[in-house]
Amino acid sequence: MSQKMIAVKVFRQDPEAGTGPSFDTFAVPWQPGLSALDVLDYIYQNLDSTLAYYDHAGCALGICARCTGKINGKAGLLCQTLVEGDLVLEPTSAERVVKDLVVDRGGK
Amino acid sequence: MTATEIKTDVLVIGGGGAGFRAVIGAREKGAEALLLSKGPLGRCGATPMAGADYTVDGKSLRELGFYGEPLDSQQTFFEDIVKQGFYLNNQKLLEQYVRTAPLRLKEFLDWGVVVARSEERAIYTTGIGMMDALLGQAKKMGARTLDDVMALDLLVQDGQIAGVLGLDVKSGQFIRFRAKAVVVATGGWHKAFWPNTGMRDLSGEGMAMAHRAGAELGNMEFITFCCNVLYGPPHVLGSIASYIFSLRCAGELTNGAGERFLGQYDPNLAYIGTHMEWNKCFISWATLQEVRKGKGSPKGGVYYGRGPVPWSEWERLVSPTFPNWKYKHIDLSAIVARIREGGTIEVGPAVEYFDGGIIIDEHFQTRVPGLFAAGECTLGPFGANRVCAATTEMMVHGAEAGQNAGAYALEQKTPAPDAAGFQELEQMASLPLTRTGGPAVAQVRRQVQEMAHRRLGPLRSEAELNLLLDFLQDVKANALPRLATASKSRRYNKEWMDALELANLTHLLETAALSALARTESRGVHYREDHPYTDNDQWLRESVARLNGGIQISSRPITVTSVTPPKGVKPYLEMLQELMEGHSAVGGHH
Repeated sequence: MSQKMIAVKVFRQDPEAGTGPSFDTFAVPWQPGLSALDVLDYIYQNLDSTLAYYDHAGCALGICARCTGKINGKAGLLCQTLVEGDLVLEPTSAERVVKDLVVDRGGK
Repeated sequence: MTATEIKTDVLVIGGGGAGFRAVIGAREKGAEALLLSKGPLGRCGATPMAGADYTVDGKSLRELGFYGEPLDSQQTFFEDIVKQGFYLNNQKLLEQYVRTAPLRLKEFLDWGVVVARSEERAIYTTGIGMMDALLGQAKKMGARTLDDVMALDLLVQDGQIAGVLGLDVKSGQFIRFRAKAVVVATGGWHKAFWPNTGMRDLSGEGMAMAHRAGAELGNMEFITFCCNVLYGPPHVLGSIASYIFSLRCAGELTNGAGERFLGQYDPNLAYIGTHMEWNKCFISWATLQEVRKGKGSPKGGVYYGRGPVPWSEWERLVSPTFPNWKYKHIDLSAIVARIREGGTIEVGPAVEYFDGGIIIDEHFQTRVPGLFAAGECTLGPFGANRVCAATTEMMVHGAEAGQNAGAYALEQKTPAPDAAGFQELEQMASLPLTRTGGPAVAQVRRQVQEMAHRRLGPLRSEAELNLLLDFLQDVKANALPRLATASKSRRYNKEWMDALELANLTHLLETAALSALARTESRGVHYREDHPYTDNDQWLRESVARLNGGIQISSRPITVTSVTPPKGVKPYLEMLQELMEGHSAVGGHH
């Protein structure tokens, strides 16, 4: 039983630590119905727990928009974008990066 | 490093409906009020994901201009909810729910909530619509809000609430809040289970910190599992969309052997139990009976399909709830195509609602002066089984908890909290950032979540609860004290937040498991395989958990006003059937 693997290239930057911007690439097992957010969950839980993406209070229903990112160059919701193959994930704004894929959206 | 300090009269912890209604309530009394939202403002907590219904007695609903039921009354509605709750309800809190539900609906309409349709005892709108109405009103009333701030602990000084330690999750810096009164409105603790139906933020920190501060938790063993929840594919795992399918059209549930199984438990229950929201309790129970017999699906559930119902009929019943076959923004078209073709989808129980929680009096105050609580995080009005709307609960609780906290704060001369108290809490919270090595937080969490789903689900036994408790002891002794973040940077450090949450989740699980072990009967959503009787002679009592060194479980009599519970001991299904048959003739889903 060999599971299909996809290569996921993720934007990394930690302005506090002065690291990045750069990209890391991870090999992630694929299955039908996998969202880009599921992919990040997999990386965080199994491969690299230093990865930051908006997860602590996201809705995963496509209504809070905090997981907006660039998926293969196109802006979209990570939680509602189904993954079919290799992937590049970036923040929507390089200037407002808090850390990795988390962007400061100027909260109230 | 000097931590930011913010002063207010009333601090509300929680950015869902109960929290927003509470911050409005505090402002209505003229107190300064600030709300902490863990995630995006108006888009976190459980409320935005709600379908959403709002329940009111039929007569009041008719008087407000909706479908309603003129033959219904507040007393009939009250009595039905007591039966749905297996007589375990706090009848004082339930009276408040029934009495003030119409008032809160009226103001909701004034604030812009749009009703899509109504039935005998409910109006239907959207959770997002509710949140937008509350956001607008909170702003109008001059309530302050902070988003992306997680509350970590309460500061109690001289026996009263004096402040709250918060974490700005983006910068990773602490915020010291000085407050005369605090309203905890943090909702459920879904994150302790996997899979779960909740949003990603629901980790019960409000309940855990209230417990640490000296408040009591009650009826923690009553945990509602929604039935027929999607068990896959990954992007919809835990979605209740398929439950809503089954509520609109019962279709057919089959086990792993392809057999229709509900009828064998009780044909009456199978009918009533699939046409009302009472089905969560009965179908979750029956599903796991099948799994126990080895007739479950590979993921430990069963299968939903339309069975003999023609596609056109299924589509007519279900599609109005899912415009373009979307639930919120989730695309369900592939799942619906499977049902159209006569196929089935794998579904099963997943944690949805916590009937127990922080013990409050009829003023929504805990036993800690200045500490109030509202909404799902409380031991509310629903007893052993919730059928009516939690969105109504959040409104009726939030309004009075907020008003009472506001009135309390205006009368108090709370001393400024000692810096030392905050420093101690900050040191504790920083530990995962300072340690190295240690087990991976996410891995430990997943083990805890899967164990909770398996051992603290709708079917329980002494042996399994003890296995869970042994496991939790091991996590507490060997994992939690060693949790370390791989990154030491404070900025949006997910693993740090997860480590802090995991301590709270483990604590709540232990409290619930101990309460479930102590309750040697079956009632509502708590079913003990080794005690399959509802015991009205011994167990018309609320469980009470105090934190005094360790967790101590005791019980106290239920609060009764007008409905006297029955006596005697009855087999669980017999009791369930009697309660369902005793329901009034008022129709609808509640």
